[in-house]
Amino acid sequence: MKWNSKVAIICVGMCYAALSGMAIAGEMAADSAMLSGTSIYTHSNKAYMLALNESNIVIAQADSPSTTVMDSMSAKPSEFEPPAFSGSNIHKYMGLATVALVGLTAVTAPEEDEGATTPSTKSRTQGTHQSLGRAAAVMAAATVTSGLLAHWDDFHLEDGFTDPDNLHVMLGTLGALAMLNAVSKAPGNGHPGTGIAGGVAMAAAIKLTW
Amino acid sequence: MQVKMKFVTLLAGMLLLNGTPALAEETFAGWLFNFERTKEVNPVTDRQYRSECSDCHYAYPPGLLPEKSWRKLLNAEALRDHFGDNAELDKDTLEAVLDYAVENSADKSYHKRSRKIARDTEDGEQPLRITEVRYIKRAHQEIPENMIKGNKDVKSLSFCDKCHTQAAKGVFDADTVSIPNYPDWED
Repeated sequence: MKWNSKVAIICVGMCYAALSGMAIAGEMAADSAMLSGTSIYTHSNKAYMLALNESNIVIAQADSPSTTVMDSMSAKPSEFEPPAFSGSNIHKYMGLATVALVGLTAVTAPEEDEGATTPSTKSRTQGTHQSLGRAAAVMAAATVTSGLLAHWDDFHLEDGFTDPDNLHVMLGTLGALAMLNAVSKAPGNGHPGTGIAGGVAMAAAIKLTW
Repeated sequence: MQVKMKFVTLLAGMLLLNGTPALAEETFAGWLFNFERTKEVNPVTDRQYRSECSDCHYAYPPGLLPEKSWRKLLNAEALRDHFGDNAELDKDTLEAVLDYAVENSADKSYHKRSRKIARDTEDGEQPLRITEVRYIKRAHQEIPENMIKGNKDVKSLSFCDKCHTQAAKGVFDADTVSIPNYPDWED
């Protein structure tokens, strides 16, 4: 029964993530629409007048070789597509996956008073928790490595500890170390606190530069 | 019981985070409980600001300079000699443009790049040019001069939108950079 509850929690989490993804996709679609309009403003210094339907300006512009409606429409953003899989994007997805794995690890933690459950159910729960915990720690380490590779020139010591990028690096690294420590201590006492602290540090690191 | 508590806590957290984007970004709580990305700078949303500025150049998002810089730039006297050009505005328009710039300046924004710019410009003389901000200078220092000044389609770092293809959305990250005539260049 308890196992079913946990599966239900995971399903709710996945549904929520899917819904959030749909919301983000909708937002991106709205952004794309905005881009096509605003890019015309920025790529042609008279284009906003066209948007205002000032016909005299349109006629005057038609004779000018420097700025035409076609020039505005062929603005660069429509030609250039940012890469879907850049180092920066991979780092971002890995960070989010780490936090998701930490959440799932916490949710699947075996209960202290599970005397009523059958041994097979208990070991299955522990196995899932253990696997997710290890996956979270490995993903955290991979996230830190990918961040160092993709953003090595984004953090500078001279900017101080409160710089958002420097804080991101520190919290992310500490979070990964805490998770690795929690996995190495498991199933001993204290490992849940260390693991959760690592996850919170990683989530805070993401938020600072999100 | 503990599973139920976890479930309720998780659900409450999700609902809390899901509902809070409605909060204004310009408050700490608004920033904290907001899923929308705030890594870049707030894009220009004011029609009057955009139309007045983009009459001559790219309408720079106000989050690229601190309030003091905008106050130095956007006053009647300064606009009479706006980097060599007369960019005078009537009193009402100037007031509206300045208000928008000040309200969305780097030191009033929680967007990451704006925060970095605000930190960079806390002390000392306030920059009049975005390209004078240390953070901006450092981000561009590796680009060879021939790709900017020697590039007929760019000419100056001041023309952000020549290379930052999503500058109109306030996005300036490396993935969206495409330097005209140098399509294979990577940061």
